[in-house]
Amino acid sequence: MTPAMPTKPPIKFGLWGGSLAFLALMTVWSAQGIGFSLSELWCNLSSGSRLLQESWPPDVAFLPRLIDPFIETLNIAIIGTIVGGILAVPVAVLAARNLTTGPLVWFADRNFMNVLRTLPDLFWAMLFATAVGFGPVAGALALSVFTIAVISKLWSESLEAIDMAMPEAVRAVGGTWLQMVQFGALPQGLQHYVSYALYAFELNVRASMVLGLVGAGGIGMILETQRANFEYERVTLIILVVLVAVLIIEQISSSIRRRLA
Amino acid sequence: MTDPLIRQKYRVGGATWATFILAILLLWSLVAIEFAPSRMLQVPGQVARVLSFFYPADMAYGWSAVLPAIIESIQIAWMGTLIAAVLSLPLALFGARTLFPRIARLVKLISATARAFPEILLAIYFVPIVGLGPFAGALAIGISSVGMLTKLGSEVVESIDFGPIEAVEASGGSRILALRYAVVPQVLPEIVAHWLFRFELNIRASAVLGVVGAGGVGGVLLNTLRYRHFEKAAAVLLLTILVVLVIDMISGEIRRRIIRS
Repeated sequence: MTPAMPTKPPIKFGLWGGSLAFLALMTVWSAQGIGFSLSELWCNLSSGSRLLQESWPPDVAFLPRLIDPFIETLNIAIIGTIVGGILAVPVAVLAARNLTTGPLVWFADRNFMNVLRTLPDLFWAMLFATAVGFGPVAGALALSVFTIAVISKLWSESLEAIDMAMPEAVRAVGGTWLQMVQFGALPQGLQHYVSYALYAFELNVRASMVLGLVGAGGIGMILETQRANFEYERVTLIILVVLVAVLIIEQISSSIRRRLA
Repeated sequence: MTDPLIRQKYRVGGATWATFILAILLLWSLVAIEFAPSRMLQVPGQVARVLSFFYPADMAYGWSAVLPAIIESIQIAWMGTLIAAVLSLPLALFGARTLFPRIARLVKLISATARAFPEILLAIYFVPIVGLGPFAGALAIGISSVGMLTKLGSEVVESIDFGPIEAVEASGGSRILALRYAVVPQVLPEIVAHWLFRFELNIRASAVLGVVGAGGVGGVLLNTLRYRHFEKAAAVLLLTILVVLVIDMISGEIRRRIIRS
């Protein structure tokens, strides 16, 4: 006698068929819309290899001229992270359901946060470059706004998960709302805050490298001029410098985060 | 014993030093990019002045020129995510320490390097290879997403239950069969949720690629701002915010359902 076999779970044809059809439709529509073709890619790889030959070896003699813009890039990232990190605190606290002052404030702050989050960093850079003129100040302002969006979103969620006994204790002994937040809630959220701020700093370093493409200062400005002149040996050098810097900063920041955790 | 009601004598600890160092870094950066207090006072006025030009948004331009560009951005993001999904699925399996201890280290190194590249820098290389346009953007997005999807995917694979694998191997199945019948069904829902999350991020990333000529809505914003057509720029911002919010909502809802089931 054959042993009893477990029955095969039924396949939900409707759900699978529907999702697969949707996926296929989206893909065909997108591929057509952007002119996606593997044969074209294959044909163009030869011109691509010519470009790669031109862009190698990197023009190392150009390195000294990168030092100042590189430091400017770091300055922009530092200002963006610190200013944005400070401004994110009230935004995050008011967006946490358990700490906010009222449903109306919560609703308004939540939507403000979501709208900030929809626009990518370079859009903010373009807007500020138009408003305050080309240069690193525009970049610093853009990254400040971007940092508010990143930290407040993540942190408001971890603030919602804190132990409410402490804030309630502060309230019970007659503390004001501000004292409740300061002594009851923020100390519990501090570790998460530091780790999100470091994460935002990593994002900002990466973003500050390309802000110059839209005229907002930093090493990206040099990248833009060399790219426009087709100096690909220099483009390669800049990209390598950026890559190494980003990797080093990520290593430092993740080792700090591990130590805090 | 210390009396909790008496304030402890203030000691200079780690937090104080951290604040001090951050303040010095901030000051140094502000001085370095010449962001003087007089300049700071001008900023709100300048921003308000430019914002006042944004009203009313030129929606006729929005529907005729901006919406097609946003649709192109969505198509770029879709194809990019698809490329990344296809490439990262095998990489995620080989990147799992628990399944392939030796190859995993190499895969993790590759994915960390890929993650350090901002997609816009990859687009700078792809534009000369396949020409100006959305195809270059999709390739850039695809390659730059592989790193993150591989990392998240291999973390999912590392957290699986080994029972089903042992069951397949005990009944005589090969390694490949174990991957197909024991690993993939366990990890697929979470990995698909990560794909959707990356799609949300890629919508924002593809929006800025137009800055280097790789298609999408970023180029439109750059041009409208450069020629000071602020009403048209307002239409770009408005439509981008709306579309991104809607896609975030839909994709977030699907992700929640996938994870719950």
